[in-house]
Amino acid sequence: MRPSLSGGVLRYAVSIFVVAVFMFPLFWWGLSSIKPRSAIFDKDRVVFFDFVPTGINYAVTLLGQSRSEAATAAGDTFGVGGASSYDSRQTIIDSIVVAVGSTALTMLLAVFAAYALSRFAFRGRQAYLGWVLSQRFMPPVAIIVPIVFMFHFLGLRDTLGGLIVIDSLINLPIAVLLMKSFFDDVPRDIDEAAMIDGATRLQTFARAVLPMVRGGIAATAVLCFIFSWTEFLLSLFLTNSIRTLPVKITTFVTSTGSEWGFIAALGTSAIVPSFIFILLVQKQLVRGLTFGSVKE
Amino acid sequence: MRGRADEPGGKAMTAVAVGGSVARRPGLPRFLTSEHPLPWLLPSTAMMVVFGVYPLLYAIWLSLHKRNPVTRLSPFNPTWNWAKLFSDERVWGAIGHTFLYTAVAIVIELVLGMLIALLLDSDRRGYGLLRALMTLPLVVPPAVTGMMFLLMLDGSFGVLSRGLYATGLLSPETPILARASTAFFGVLLADIWQWTPFMVLIMLAGLRALPKDPFEAAAIDGASAAQAFFRLTLPLMSRIIALAVLIRGVDLFRIYDYVKVMTDGGPGTATETLTAYAGTIYFKNADFPYASTVALLTLILLIVTANIFIKIFRVRF
Repeated sequence: MRPSLSGGVLRYAVSIFVVAVFMFPLFWWGLSSIKPRSAIFDKDRVVFFDFVPTGINYAVTLLGQSRSEAATAAGDTFGVGGASSYDSRQTIIDSIVVAVGSTALTMLLAVFAAYALSRFAFRGRQAYLGWVLSQRFMPPVAIIVPIVFMFHFLGLRDTLGGLIVIDSLINLPIAVLLMKSFFDDVPRDIDEAAMIDGATRLQTFARAVLPMVRGGIAATAVLCFIFSWTEFLLSLFLTNSIRTLPVKITTFVTSTGSEWGFIAALGTSAIVPSFIFILLVQKQLVRGLTFGSVKE
Repeated sequence: MRGRADEPGGKAMTAVAVGGSVARRPGLPRFLTSEHPLPWLLPSTAMMVVFGVYPLLYAIWLSLHKRNPVTRLSPFNPTWNWAKLFSDERVWGAIGHTFLYTAVAIVIELVLGMLIALLLDSDRRGYGLLRALMTLPLVVPPAVTGMMFLLMLDGSFGVLSRGLYATGLLSPETPILARASTAFFGVLLADIWQWTPFMVLIMLAGLRALPKDPFEAAAIDGASAAQAFFRLTLPLMSRIIALAVLIRGVDLFRIYDYVKVMTDGGPGTATETLTAYAGTIYFKNADFPYASTVALLTLILLIVTANIFIKIFRVRF
């Protein structure tokens, strides 16, 4: 399977080329975020570095500078005006609250269920696991209309709490299955030793087993955070005034023209946290994407 | 799920017994103590029943009502929406788009993913970084991915469009997302960019777990690399490939974000998938019962297709 040495350089060159192709959209996106408006929309200047970099797009979306002020300051009177709100500071705070909140809630619920599924032998255990898996496979669109009605009734519509609940629901099956696979990796002797020493199940779980799956908890939590951070459909249906980042970005597309500079700036800001987090859990990524059934 | 790790077997049973006999608080029935799985499973089960199962039953109940757009009331009429599905050409179009989209994307992503995995499966220096970079597209919010490709495919100033015009594949008069026959590929491009890395990662994990012996034996017997791949690598990786296809297939089948962001089902209804159509009925017509019916149809088709796949390829988790 391993190729001969002579092919080594060529293979590496091809590998770099393939990865570069996949990196290009990210590069282009980042580049567009520091382009002045005129350079983005000029069809004859679609060249890589034919522009003076600007921070305007970030100043407007992340620092709340007004759009016309920013344009005037840059000596760019093109497209000044328009009442749309591009200030996304509240959006970012809301997105962080939802992602952190739902991750915490998901993990809190998941570790207990996962431990039980890993350690107890009971009738219907396989069926329960199958049911959890089927929850992951259910298209959110199938339940979204009733969820909107329910949330309206419960006062959760268009609230951060509502988004936290629904993102937790979506993440819960993955978190349970993934945490179960991490608990399965811990030898049962640990439990038995603790219980022979007189610990209850709960004490065994909290003091002996839980510390041993810290890495798994971190990896699962990171994945939950990313799923919640990137979630689009449910936020779109369940909110009007509160906007998470993916939904907010799409509101910058209007029938009279899209503010690509602002979109790219906010989009780049939305990607960066995910990138940092994902590099932390590289080793557990495959396991996370297959709900614990493929280990690297 | 897989293998022995899932069978708690005798050891766990004794552990339960030991734990139970050592520390049972008097007064509480056993199924309410931590020695019984019930209290452990209750919170997450409650969550999934209240916000997962109940809404699903509610959606079924909703689909049995006919909405009157004038009075805004929805009296009970159990066959109305389900009969409407069959006469609604947009539903049939959406079913076709959904299956076509899923099948084309899966094949391309699987083949590309396998090729790239074979390419990057090396212990030499530099490959680790390339593998890490390949994971980045996975965590971009899909809505943002849609926007990225919307920008790059813009008919006037999009960098990919300019590239396509330069090669003569498309002309500026017919931007890729504006034409019914090509918009499909525009949306597909975003999906392929984002999810080929998923296949790469899983195939890499599969390749790394392959046993060495059969390949050494094949090399001694003078088998070519292609023979080794088709006779050994593919069969040995069949479980993991089937699993990856199932997971990806389910997600593709309920595709929403790219379609909503990039074309909103258009031009016309050329890229309208089932979930996109359900969304349109919800947002534009406010016909909640019918939106639920279309969403349930998506679920039914998904369950049937996934189960046929699981049966044929004997997928195990």
